[in-house]
Amino acid sequence: MYGKGLKPLSMTTVGALVVAFSLVFFYAPLDADQGFIQKIFYLHVPLAIVALVGFVIGGVFAIAHLRSGDSKWDAYSYVSIHMSVIFGVAVLATGSIWAKASWGHWWVWDEPTLVSFLIVFLMYATYYPFRYAIEDRERQGRYASVFAIVAGAFVPLNFMAVRMAQSLVHPRVFATTNGGLPGSMMLTFLVCLLAIGLLWVTLVKFELTAKSASGQVKRLRRALDAPAPGGRSRVAPEVG
Amino acid sequence: MLGLLAATPALPLDEAGKYVAGAYVVFLALIVIYVAIMATKLQRIERELRELASFAEQGANRPDGTGQAAPGRGSEGPSISDSLAPHGSRGGGAI
Repeated sequence: MYGKGLKPLSMTTVGALVVAFSLVFFYAPLDADQGFIQKIFYLHVPLAIVALVGFVIGGVFAIAHLRSGDSKWDAYSYVSIHMSVIFGVAVLATGSIWAKASWGHWWVWDEPTLVSFLIVFLMYATYYPFRYAIEDRERQGRYASVFAIVAGAFVPLNFMAVRMAQSLVHPRVFATTNGGLPGSMMLTFLVCLLAIGLLWVTLVKFELTAKSASGQVKRLRRALDAPAPGGRSRVAPEVG
Repeated sequence: MLGLLAATPALPLDEAGKYVAGAYVVFLALIVIYVAIMATKLQRIERELRELASFAEQGANRPDGTGQAAPGRGSEGPSISDSLAPHGSRGGGAI
């Protein structure tokens, strides 16, 4: 069920990524201020936007879970957060590389954008131990959903707080009074954002398909393991 | 592709180039690691399915018919949440 449409989606994503990276290196002009280093922007910023939106989507799925009680939404929420955490690792890594090239330091602690993203990332990193510390499946899903909603609400608040803070060093390229990106750079950025967004959707779908298959195998094992009329189990105990 | 490369300006792969290359390589490496972990998971699922199929076949071949799967169990509700069980496969695990 979850695997339906995965193949065309994957192919579309690969195509979008190829187009996006081709635009980055062969179409978008070099930035007058930063030069070639600015090419990292086309990867780093879409990853950050998609990761943060993914956290919020995880919260929305969690609301659906608490409202309906359907564990399907809990799985959606878990996978959305999981994928956004992976994207978060990429954001921190690419951001650090850019910082080293541009500022000469891998990390700057007095830059609100960096530190706030790290706080969000670390907050979501606690989602896993929090979730799996609870044995009971029902409570686990409920508590994890509450966490996802609260944390998901924190993400836009955190974003707005950082935008309102006066920063002198982190580049602001959107909604600035001094003008934003020129057309060719904006087009490249939007294509990159679309491609990274598609990648997130594809990987979420991929993960859900794998989880569904794993769940079906467990169900099949339980069904086959149900005591036969003779009273003995028909399947060997689960290994590993 | 070669024509496209010839028509484009030379990329300034000097000091900045290694950082840009590093950022994109890190991104690709993360994707590849994730796909490799998912491939391992799919191999495990396939192995378990093979094992279950062979048990089911053995049971179906018994003359008393005790090997058939419990009737009706296969139509239970959605099982995706089974993979989130505390002691089960936690999926993901890509980082």
